[in-house]
Amino acid sequence: MRRVLVVFLGTFLAHIAFAATPTPIEFSVDVMSVLSKAGCNAGTCHGNLNGKGGLKLSLRGQDPFADYHTLVFASRGRRVTVNAPEQSLILQKATGQVPHRGGARFRSDSKAYKLLKQWLELGAPPPSKDALSVTHLKVEPLQAIVRDPNDSINFKVNAVFSDGTSRDVTESACYEMSNLLARVDANGKVTRAKFGESTLIVRYLDQQVPVPIAFTESRSSFVWDEPAEFNQIDHHVFQKLRRLKVNPSPICSDSVFVRRAYQDVLGRIPTAAEARQFVHDESPGKRNQLIDSLLSRDAMADYWALKWADMLRVEEKVLDVDGVDAFHDWIRASIADAKPIDQFVRDLITGVGSTFQQPAANFYRANRDPSTRGETAARLFLGTRLQCAKCHNHPFDRWTQDDYYSWATLFSQLDYEVGENKRRDKLDKNEFVGDQTVVVSKQDEVRHPNTKQFVTPKFLGGKQLIESQAEQRLGSVADWVTSPENKMFAATQANFVWYHLMGTGLVDPIDDFRLTNPASNPALLNFLADEMVQSGFDLRAMMRLVMSSRTYQLASEPNQTNVNDEFSYSRVVTRRLPAEVLLDMQSDVLGTAAQFAGYESGMRAVQIPGVRRKRLRDERPNGGDRFLQTFGKPERILACDCERSNGTTLKQVFVLMGESLNRRLAEDGNRLQALVDDIDDDARLVDELYWTALSRSPTEVELSAALQMFRTEKRWSSIESVFQSPRTARLRVTEDLVWALLNAKEFLFRR
Amino acid sequence: MTLHLPNRRSLLRAGGAGMLGLSLPKILRGEERTSAIKSRAKSVIFLFQWGGPSQLDTFDMKPDAPDTVRSPYGPIATSAPGIQICELMPEMSKWMDRVSLIRTMTHKMKNHASAGYYALSGHEPPSDDQRLRDSLDLYPAYGSVVDHLMPNTNGMPTFVAYPHVMRDGSVVPAQHASFLGKQHDPLFFLEDPNARDFALPELSLPQGLSVDRLQRRREMQKLIDQQNRMLEYSNQARGFDQYYQRAISMLTSDNVRKAFDLSAEKESIRDRYGRTTYGQSCLLARRLVESGVKFVTVYFSNSIGGRRIDSGGWDTHGFDDTRMYKIVDKYHLPITDQTLPTLLNDLEQRGLLDETLVVWMGEFGRTPDINKNSSRDHWPQCYTALLAGGGVKGGYVYGKSDTHARFPIENPVKPEDLAATIYYLLGIDPLTEIYDLDHRPLIIGGNVVKDVIA
Repeated sequence: MRRVLVVFLGTFLAHIAFAATPTPIEFSVDVMSVLSKAGCNAGTCHGNLNGKGGLKLSLRGQDPFADYHTLVFASRGRRVTVNAPEQSLILQKATGQVPHRGGARFRSDSKAYKLLKQWLELGAPPPSKDALSVTHLKVEPLQAIVRDPNDSINFKVNAVFSDGTSRDVTESACYEMSNLLARVDANGKVTRAKFGESTLIVRYLDQQVPVPIAFTESRSSFVWDEPAEFNQIDHHVFQKLRRLKVNPSPICSDSVFVRRAYQDVLGRIPTAAEARQFVHDESPGKRNQLIDSLLSRDAMADYWALKWADMLRVEEKVLDVDGVDAFHDWIRASIADAKPIDQFVRDLITGVGSTFQQPAANFYRANRDPSTRGETAARLFLGTRLQCAKCHNHPFDRWTQDDYYSWATLFSQLDYEVGENKRRDKLDKNEFVGDQTVVVSKQDEVRHPNTKQFVTPKFLGGKQLIESQAEQRLGSVADWVTSPENKMFAATQANFVWYHLMGTGLVDPIDDFRLTNPASNPALLNFLADEMVQSGFDLRAMMRLVMSSRTYQLASEPNQTNVNDEFSYSRVVTRRLPAEVLLDMQSDVLGTAAQFAGYESGMRAVQIPGVRRKRLRDERPNGGDRFLQTFGKPERILACDCERSNGTTLKQVFVLMGESLNRRLAEDGNRLQALVDDIDDDARLVDELYWTALSRSPTEVELSAALQMFRTEKRWSSIESVFQSPRTARLRVTEDLVWALLNAKEFLFRR
Repeated sequence: MTLHLPNRRSLLRAGGAGMLGLSLPKILRGEERTSAIKSRAKSVIFLFQWGGPSQLDTFDMKPDAPDTVRSPYGPIATSAPGIQICELMPEMSKWMDRVSLIRTMTHKMKNHASAGYYALSGHEPPSDDQRLRDSLDLYPAYGSVVDHLMPNTNGMPTFVAYPHVMRDGSVVPAQHASFLGKQHDPLFFLEDPNARDFALPELSLPQGLSVDRLQRRREMQKLIDQQNRMLEYSNQARGFDQYYQRAISMLTSDNVRKAFDLSAEKESIRDRYGRTTYGQSCLLARRLVESGVKFVTVYFSNSIGGRRIDSGGWDTHGFDDTRMYKIVDKYHLPITDQTLPTLLNDLEQRGLLDETLVVWMGEFGRTPDINKNSSRDHWPQCYTALLAGGGVKGGYVYGKSDTHARFPIENPVKPEDLAATIYYLLGIDPLTEIYDLDHRPLIIGGNVVKDVIA
């Protein structure tokens, strides 16, 4: 058997040797582009981690040499038959002549087929080392607005090669849409499925270009409303809207604004008195005054610390309860003291020492190896997801595996001095108890998984670490990351603020800046990034800038022109409020505290430093804990905002209808009971409850329906007076009314 | 109004998440493929034997092995010619003509957490590590995948799991929907079906609240919602409102409520299943599939156990001077021999067995060599899974283990292959891909074990 094989390979190699002279077909260009175009090396097919049906190609053709080997030599060369090209398995499979799970990819009269056949006829020549590479793609047009009645658009793609020549590759390039609003055919013709914005990704070999496309209604009679611009943000937003022939919604009402501003800055709603005062205030600059006064309140630091604590993995199992408290206090204090964001990030990157004494060192306590540290730093500070590049070059971005490990190794010179670590559960190796000291220590650089060689430390997409920087390696990393010249940093931090105030990032998800996920409004993102630098990385200045824009203050109700807008900020996005905010809002309306295992009563949900202070087996979770979990408070195991869930589920409704809220509605000494006793007049009582829960007066219909409830209940109790006093009757109606208020979409959603 | 969003819509939502490389036609093709596979089982009851039952003392007896290996219990003949099982399961022996055994389950995870994750997800964990943390980058539970790809439209939940959380130190991953999203989590509860007052809090009105008051609350809520147009222009708000409608119907009168009402069963039936948490859980499983639930996972125990004769799982190392053969004979095997045949019998009597796949398995088997504590340690290289009903063969053994049940010598089956078989029997293509948080395409199963299919 072995001999046969050798003989076979021998004849085969002879063919290859014969074909090693220059040929009209270059494997790494011509053949690879056919394989990509047919989808053979897609992540869903043979480009998959495990391949498919026994054949594994490099993902999206990143490695022509490996693919050549796989196709020609692996599996005993059974995939190609140079003596009878048409018998080759790759052609028979791809055309569906033999069963192929992936179906027929092209026909036997197609160009793709002819090219592969020709390549085989030439003896399947290998990729040549000096083959031309593609330096860039020229796509025309580079962005587009397609107006009804037009519903499609064609693109032309030219590849420019390393020798300066270019070739029209419109037919052989690959096309994908970023969402389902449009579809694209094999020749790059994009056709609308729905009105809205989408991005076409054009790919040819290892080059990709994103092309933003907007499909709009014709709106021939469109008239721009000329809304007044409050600041530069509006300028950038409105420029885009005007181009799209979309008018923004009107400015929201005062009662919507006051609620929105409180929710976004403090994570709570105004009291009835605060809401009334603002709404009834006649002064013209009252919105900006409110923004300033909210930004100076203590509670702002509570709420914005929560956002950072989510991403910095402030969680008891790894940091210990004491570490959680120390780290959270430090994050909160950094925000309360208006520490510039660049300084805050510098402290994290250089944070070493005792994790109890030097809280920033908890960053490395939670991220325990160079890969994790590199990934987390890239994600949080540079808005970049590098994970893909751990195992293969990033399929949708420019990052290579080399970039990944060169960056990761910057974080390799760290070690831990672990004390006793008396785990409460000795089996649970995730758990670290007690203090730990993060120390800078001489360690090996990271090894590249393919070459097994130590890699050279390099800043992400930047230069090599030079000798003078090596000594204070973490300081040098911090210098590079937080430098005002580092656009990735400023843009990521600006986008973070924008996302939390507007509900959708200019780049979204916020930690996924990449070539193929461009900003929905690049000019605006640039502007905000510049402002971030100009302001000295001042969080409050950025918040003030965004909140004082007209764009932030728009209503959520759509008009005729912006009903389909999702990414252009022509109206405010409606979204379910975060778990902690919702629970605190309930507590504020009811005047009772929610209970959390391990905390004194009175703790607000947004102030909780960690995730689970008491292990489940030591103390059953309280109503408050269960609420937070059901509504999506993250476990803080991933350094990603995506771990927080703001989705809606049936279970959430069960929680809102269930025992625990019901008990709180009837709890002795809550606000409802006080209000029922203080306010004799039913109409006034209803008015107070509406202002407390919804920051507005009841409408006429609502008021009359509520009063009807009171009348019915009283009539009932006068008949059944034995069972129910008039006070009890009023209380019961109040509970039911407040339940309805707490379950109104207006309460549960930010709008 | 159904409990879950329809299939098409959830796929569209997945697509809207900004993934690349997945265009609508591809998704639709995936869907067609799924429907092209004949659905042999309508429901699955997955009985997870936490701790790891010994293959040598249950369904893969090796009476000819030396006494350092073979079980102290003898084998008995069964209703299936040529298939012997442990003498401590005489009731089960009457059922072997109607079940399939896979005696060559195999993998390499020696820790409960990693092996448990593998068994519950059909995905090999990144490392054999007790540190495997339950996070959103790990793979979802079978039932959640089913809920994602083939959700119920009959008003019943697709996936119900109870009455324990699997943990060994850390919580074992793959007990929920993970990156598929909370809407695909199981209806999960910890209430004990064997408790006298067993009821789901979700399905009970809060104390002191009448149906009338609940309706009054809902009416007022609707009125408030009519004061603005949010239900018109916000899909999320509208979807949330539909959940209220659904929840109220479940709370008032509904099939779901009835399905969970164990008191509707005759006392004699309840006794037959066994008055244990596991026994009554299995009875509940039958009620649930009867009312249309698609995937029921019953966890055998709340801990890996192995040291007591009144609770805990199958992890009998003989630590702390306990001895395996003073435990499994008094607890695990009798419970199994009472409950499992009763469940199969009950399903058959009601004509449900043909359309209900019952899977009985642990996360691994136990060492062929009896250890110095006269007990057995972890052994993932070769163990047995039992399948019954739902389109699988009866009286059939797939795969052959060696003379000590140490390694497969024919037809090894990995957990992903068993997963593929379960999906396939439900009519789901095991090559279907789902996408994780990094938009990586992941195939849901391995190779279908077609030989066990009738």
